[in-house]
Amino acid sequence: MLSLPRNVFLVARREYLEQIRGRAFRMSTIGLPVLFAVIFAIAYGSSMGIGTNKRIVVASSNAALANDVREELVRGKGSSSHVDVVSSLTPEKRAALIREIQARSLDGLLWIETPPGKPPAATYISKSAGEFMTSARLNDALNNGLVEEKLTGGGMTAAQANAVTKGIPIVAYQIKSNGSVVKSNAEASFWKGYVMAILLSLTTMIYGMNVARSIIQEKTSRIFEVMLATVKPADMLAGKLIGVGAVGLTQIAIWLAAAVVLMASPFAAAMQSGQLSLHFSWFEGVLFPVYFVLGYLLYSSLFAGLAATCETEQELQMYMPLAAAPTWLSFALIVLIMNDSNSVISVAASLFPPTAPIVMFLRMASEIPPAWQFGVSIGLLILSIWAVLWFSSRLYRIGILMYGKRATLPELMRWLRYS
Amino acid sequence: MPVVELVGVTKAYESKVAVHQLSLSINAGQMFGLLGPNGAGKTTSIRMMMGIIMPDSGQVKLFEKPFERRSLDRVGYLPEERGLYKKMKVLDQLIFFGELHGVSAGDASKRARDWARRLEIADALDKKTEELSKGMQQKIQFIGSILHDPGLIVMDEPFSGLDPVNAVLLERTLLEMKDQGRAILFSTHRMDQVEKLCDSICLVNNGEAVLSGRMREIKSRYERNHVIVEFEGSASFLNSEEIAEAKNFSGHAEIRLKPHGDAQKLLHQASAVATIYRFELVEPSLEEIFIRSVGGKPDAVVAA
Repeated sequence: MLSLPRNVFLVARREYLEQIRGRAFRMSTIGLPVLFAVIFAIAYGSSMGIGTNKRIVVASSNAALANDVREELVRGKGSSSHVDVVSSLTPEKRAALIREIQARSLDGLLWIETPPGKPPAATYISKSAGEFMTSARLNDALNNGLVEEKLTGGGMTAAQANAVTKGIPIVAYQIKSNGSVVKSNAEASFWKGYVMAILLSLTTMIYGMNVARSIIQEKTSRIFEVMLATVKPADMLAGKLIGVGAVGLTQIAIWLAAAVVLMASPFAAAMQSGQLSLHFSWFEGVLFPVYFVLGYLLYSSLFAGLAATCETEQELQMYMPLAAAPTWLSFALIVLIMNDSNSVISVAASLFPPTAPIVMFLRMASEIPPAWQFGVSIGLLILSIWAVLWFSSRLYRIGILMYGKRATLPELMRWLRYS
Repeated sequence: MPVVELVGVTKAYESKVAVHQLSLSINAGQMFGLLGPNGAGKTTSIRMMMGIIMPDSGQVKLFEKPFERRSLDRVGYLPEERGLYKKMKVLDQLIFFGELHGVSAGDASKRARDWARRLEIADALDKKTEELSKGMQQKIQFIGSILHDPGLIVMDEPFSGLDPVNAVLLERTLLEMKDQGRAILFSTHRMDQVEKLCDSICLVNNGEAVLSGRMREIKSRYERNHVIVEFEGSASFLNSEEIAEAKNFSGHAEIRLKPHGDAQKLLHQASAVATIYRFELVEPSLEEIFIRSVGGKPDAVVAA
């Protein structure tokens, strides 16, 4: 059992108990996952519904083609579009339809001209410019319609032609490092990695900020010097980091426990069988707290040093974008990592301490990286935590007794030299 | 037996020397006043006693041993910049301070209740700090600094912010603790308080001790050459050749004697022409002594 100096333990215990009893802890423990579920549901739900549920008119002098296109549009999964067919292509009719679009009683007009001896030309007219999802669906529908039209023209039956244009889904399998072959689900693993990375960065940031805020509060309440009569600055800092970190771990433990309970419930069975089967392994269950602790220690010790040099929370805000930059960088790399989790950049980002926790989870979404990479990333994280702590504890030691104004950069340099 | 001792302590910051070659020592059962204007080096000296700042040269001794952090468990410290955790319950907070000084939670709780009763704030214990008035917070802060029954109590401006009633309560408490054999050091810029409470003083100005020692000793260095007379009758004795300067406020005269002027002779002259209600030979006030020692104006000293 690791034994803490008595004062470190006392400071940590106070910090832990005060925060656990606080309303903010209860709110965020319950509120954060709920908020997540809602945002997730909205994002997922709205991406499913894009390009559907429209009232569209397909106009073509070739009635068979128009009907084929119509069928393609209506057939689409989850489509609730209402599609009408018009086969007389007169300028008057076109003008009338455009007026309807202006009046919003019609969402769009697909105008297909099939001049003899020339390739067909199609235009789509609608009120809004940015319907790229809709136009993708229209493109598919029109091209499939044209192919079917050609095939039936060449003597195939409608059913035969239909069978040709119907796409074949590809079933993807993934070979795990232990040799087992499992059905992979790119979409589900993307979401899983994404969710875990966001949770990790959120908790890391929240608790890193928490440390900073608590230091600022102690500074504004002028309690530091009272404390310093018994506690060494380094012990105070250590106690605070441990106490707040323990609060974070408690919160994650509550979430994990809730997740285990949820997984065992009928609700989870439904979710697993659905398209979005999220399955969390024990490996992830262990690594998540480990990377949380490391990421948290890295950020919070950095914030702690900065916070000690500030006088108010407003001043601290100034540093926040700087401190949050690695998180942004991690998420900026998301497409790259998801596409090739073993590219040089992906591997480098998962070893680079500031981005390591988040990027590692993004990589794990598609494939479990080799053990040495975990080892190196954790080793580098520990080294950099040590370095940041060295730097921060110096700023902290002097900063907590400086009142009146925020320290300038030359002053900070002097503090580092002195202590 | 000195409880705390500074021996030739010097501390310089980048731009100025905060404390220069300061020596002082405080015994058990002694109340010690550290006096001086703001920026004189009081707080720096106190912080060096508490190990918050390390001296550049010289030595700090606590309980007759060179400074070590362990000794701080026997020191109660009330800094000038003081505060409490706003959201925390007062009793929890006091127990926390007690535990940091090595007192068990149970003992700390019992002592906190005792002290709260003595200082007439027993009902504050179950509230949060932010619900308390400033004066009450001051008292809680005081209790927090003495809960571990320290042998040395160091207080930086303990009376600032206290109303007269509570200031008297604190004075009384400090005197009681002194009588129990504790050494007490406090800093202030109020000379009258020091004059009333302290056995020994150290007057600092610009980081240097201008005057230090036992109060009686210091005062006895200066001649008692001020006389206050309250009388009825002729004021002709005010022209006595013993007097250098006299102000008469219709029956109340303030007199400065000539060097080696004889007060007894003056009393005879006065009683010959007037009825004397009061004839008091007074010693110079600390304020006057300080002004004489630094040759400055009193404002420069007392200004906060």
